Amino acid sequence: MTSNTTAPDTAQSTAERLRVAGLHAPTDAVLSVRDLNVRFNTENGVVHAVRGIDFDVLPGKTLGIVGESGSGKSVTSMAIMGLLPPTAEISGSVRLKGKELLGLSDKAMCRHRGNDLAMVFQDPLSSLTPVYTVGTQIVEALTVHNPTMSKQAKEARAVELLGLVGIPSPKDRLKAFPHEFSGGMRQRVMIAIAIANNPRVLIADEPTTALDVTIQAQVLEVLHAAQEETGAAVVMITHDLGVVAGMADDIMVMYAGRPVETGSVDDIYYSSRMPYTMGLLGAVPRVDIAEKTSLVPIEGIPPNLAHPPTGCSFAPRCPLASEACLDGEPDLREVASGTAHSAACIKTEALADVDAHAIFAAPAVPVSRFDRLPRHERKTVLELRDVRKHFPLMKGALLKRRIGTVKAVDGLSFDIREGECFSIVGESGCGKTTTLLEIMEFHKDQDGEVVIGGLSNKHAADAKAKGAMRRELQMVFQDPTGALDPRFTVYEVLAEPMENLGMPKPAIRKRIMELMELVGLQADHVNRFPNQFSGGQRQRIGIARALAVNPRLVVLDEPVSALDVSVQAGVINLLDKLRAELGLSYLMVAHDLSVVRHISNRVAVMYLGKIVEIGDVDAVFDNPRHPYTRALLSAIPVPDPELERTRERIILQGDLPSPLEAPAGCNFATRCPVFAALPPAKQEKCLTLEPALELAAVDQQFACFYPDGELDADMVVVHEDH
Amino acid sequence: MLRYLAKRAVTYVFMIFLTTSAGYLLAVSTLQPALLEQERIPRPTPEQVVNSFRLKGLDPTLNPWERYVDWLTGILTRWDWGRSPNGAFINAEFGDRVWISTRLFLASIILTLVIGVALGVYTAARQYKASDRVITSYSYLMYIVPAPIAYFLVQLGAININESVGERVFFVTGISTPGLDGGGWAQFVDMLAHYAVPTFAITVVGWGAYQIAQRQYLLDNVNADFVRTARAKGLTRNQAISRHALRVSFIPVAQSIAFTIPAIFAGGFFAEKIFAWHGVGSWSIDSIALQDVNAATATLAYGSVIFAVGAILADFATTLVDPRVRVQ
Repeated sequence: MTSNTTAPDTAQSTAERLRVAGLHAPTDAVLSVRDLNVRFNTENGVVHAVRGIDFDVLPGKTLGIVGESGSGKSVTSMAIMGLLPPTAEISGSVRLKGKELLGLSDKAMCRHRGNDLAMVFQDPLSSLTPVYTVGTQIVEALTVHNPTMSKQAKEARAVELLGLVGIPSPKDRLKAFPHEFSGGMRQRVMIAIAIANNPRVLIADEPTTALDVTIQAQVLEVLHAAQEETGAAVVMITHDLGVVAGMADDIMVMYAGRPVETGSVDDIYYSSRMPYTMGLLGAVPRVDIAEKTSLVPIEGIPPNLAHPPTGCSFAPRCPLASEACLDGEPDLREVASGTAHSAACIKTEALADVDAHAIFAAPAVPVSRFDRLPRHERKTVLELRDVRKHFPLMKGALLKRRIGTVKAVDGLSFDIREGECFSIVGESGCGKTTTLLEIMEFHKDQDGEVVIGGLSNKHAADAKAKGAMRRELQMVFQDPTGALDPRFTVYEVLAEPMENLGMPKPAIRKRIMELMELVGLQADHVNRFPNQFSGGQRQRIGIARALAVNPRLVVLDEPVSALDVSVQAGVINLLDKLRAELGLSYLMVAHDLSVVRHISNRVAVMYLGKIVEIGDVDAVFDNPRHPYTRALLSAIPVPDPELERTRERIILQGDLPSPLEAPAGCNFATRCPVFAALPPAKQEKCLTLEPALELAAVDQQFACFYPDGELDADMVVVHEDH
Repeated sequence: MLRYLAKRAVTYVFMIFLTTSAGYLLAVSTLQPALLEQERIPRPTPEQVVNSFRLKGLDPTLNPWERYVDWLTGILTRWDWGRSPNGAFINAEFGDRVWISTRLFLASIILTLVIGVALGVYTAARQYKASDRVITSYSYLMYIVPAPIAYFLVQLGAININESVGERVFFVTGISTPGLDGGGWAQFVDMLAHYAVPTFAITVVGWGAYQIAQRQYLLDNVNADFVRTARAKGLTRNQAISRHALRVSFIPVAQSIAFTIPAIFAGGFFAEKIFAWHGVGSWSIDSIALQDVNAATATLAYGSVIFAVGAILADFATTLVDPRVRVQ
């Protein structure tokens, strides 16, 4: 497999097309792509977004395309579907069952789209037309390709499809509008639409990125079932190395618009030969292992594809780069002759059995001065005592009556000691963010007590005490772009909190230079605007802003979820370093449990406003007692294909229940895999009594009556053969 | 739905009452019809003026509050909106005025909406092509040009046509030829000759706003994720746009259309003045010039009612086209 990326013009002559077509291997591949190139004409010149991609997918097999944002993976899928805007210049060859797709008109392409070539998109919330019922949209997919099908037959098929993707009472739901479905349910509908006509190839572009982990596990299961049902070849596009580890047969790693390594899933995960792949794997924290090593950060940012790289596109970020690497882009070459494993690196041979940590300069694990002290000897920086936030659920406009209560936070108590990182995890809607807001609110009318550095909201909540509180506690936000004022220079961003405290100008200036160095930014960049920095750098600015007033506690609201994997590792390492060097405490909210495990000392698992399990992070993650914690942990895909193939997964049914339907007793009972398997006599207890937190180990508490109960067989999935 | 409408109606009735009362009190304390009477020749004595006004229920010696109570009692008990300084009854004149405005605007507003929305869709599908550029530039031009100037230009054009034909094809002012004899056909031709110019003028000026809005809303949706989904199902680009994007982009337009429709009955000052159709719009301005408290207040109340009906219709239209919106 070689590709020629130097073809300067995109207008393909017939001879050129024939030459490319000749490259098609005589396989039984259902989809085969050769030398695919996509160029966009932009104001900044021609951006060569995809630069020569070759792959084949066999029926019933799954190809995973892995890459970071801007690597060209989505553009590749859109080019195959023929959904790129007409301004995109596409060249090469895409063959579906031997038939060339490139160059077909929109109309001719429509015979394939949704018929033998289907796609599932990333964002289920915006991918369905809001004004038509779900049934109409599924039936439409059937009508387009089967104009003669009767109305009853189409409706019956739509019901069958909705049932197949696991939507309860599909017949009634047919008349529901998309906004009446949750995100996970909408993604199921998208999958139902995609498989409506039994496609031969199903392209899934980040199908679970926008979803919660428990829902992600459900949707991946549905995709798996859909593939088995239709026998389709699946192209799975993702940035998450965990998601593809369990699903894919082959992997293609993309960087800067090109494949840099291809091979079977085992080749890629266990013996990767390209520094970028190795870096990516090393940059991902693992949820299943108590690591005591730093993550591998990949410095720098991907190249701008408006200027075609002259050497290896990864060379500027590669610690092994030498002169030879800058001399022409390396082609994909077989790692060993006769295998399908190829890598685009001139040092491939030297990389066998080399650990990523040996290549990339992963910093030493920082040790905090507090780590030596036992926890109970350290001072408490934040304490919550029985904090509640209930929102009344009202009905009626003029005369409102209360029909229920949303218990967003329901009796939360925990404390954070000096130098530790405490994380709150849970699905969206479980009350994580409300908890943070309650802490930041710091008002004496709050239900429950919040003590920050010795200041209690009950005793001193006037403006002065609030000011003192803000000095103790600062916040880092999820979206680094939205959290920085685009009209402020970095200097102004960092100076503002200190000016608020009335610090003198020279001291502010000195402190800003310190801060820039502290978070790993160049001090002479202080006069730039936020849009001149990359996402990772912006998050570093956000961290510097939080640190400006020397707080003791930093609240991190999803600090790395908006960042790419390779950049994320650098920010996590920075947070780790700052905690150790400055003796900071963190309160972190995150949905990525791998990140939580890597960075936290203690963790609390929340469900519907309550803590269901809390304790030392290794104790909770290695020996989860509450069924919800077990389900949450088992839902997280691990970047280890061997493990992914054999491990048992708990797939929770449905979504978070609405607050009106929550049972009086344990509020997890409606989805609990243990509860479902209990005899009715024992179920009664779960439904009527509220379990209290009880001690499981030295630092681990959980709230469940039957932690050792058997799991319901329907909710446990094991993929034995692959 | 009915409960919702009833609730909204109550709110609006209350608001209309407030605006109208405030309007009456403002008018009665600032407008001085007695001063105009002083310019008559022969000049009446002040006593004569007061007497004459007292007979019409416009006693200038009473204080504003007393007059307000009288006026309000008249409306609430007898549905009598009072009289003008010249003695005319507001109730009697009102119906004629509304009917004239309606005839002037009915056809042109319907044409405006249909043409504006259709052109909006047409240009959005041909974004940046010559036809789109021409039509959209025209719409922006109509935004900029003050409506009276455009009306005058249309009038001049019609006069030019009349002159070059050498016969009076179009009437540029008036509703009908007074004292016209002849059968139904002659009447019909006369009506057309009177209607053509104002209808044309109001239409060509008005559609621009709808064209720009519809084009913009549709373009916002042309590249929406759900249009991409529709194409991935196997619909062509044009099918996907017309079946999915159009319906969604019509939601805000439907709302503004619903708001516009009652305006047909409210008339417009410039058009009525320039084409000499004496409807509600010109009446409201004239009544202020003539220091006519009761007429000015009546037109204000009427405007509030029209606005309230428009707002309710807009809510109704939104629930009709957007299943995500529910009224409770």
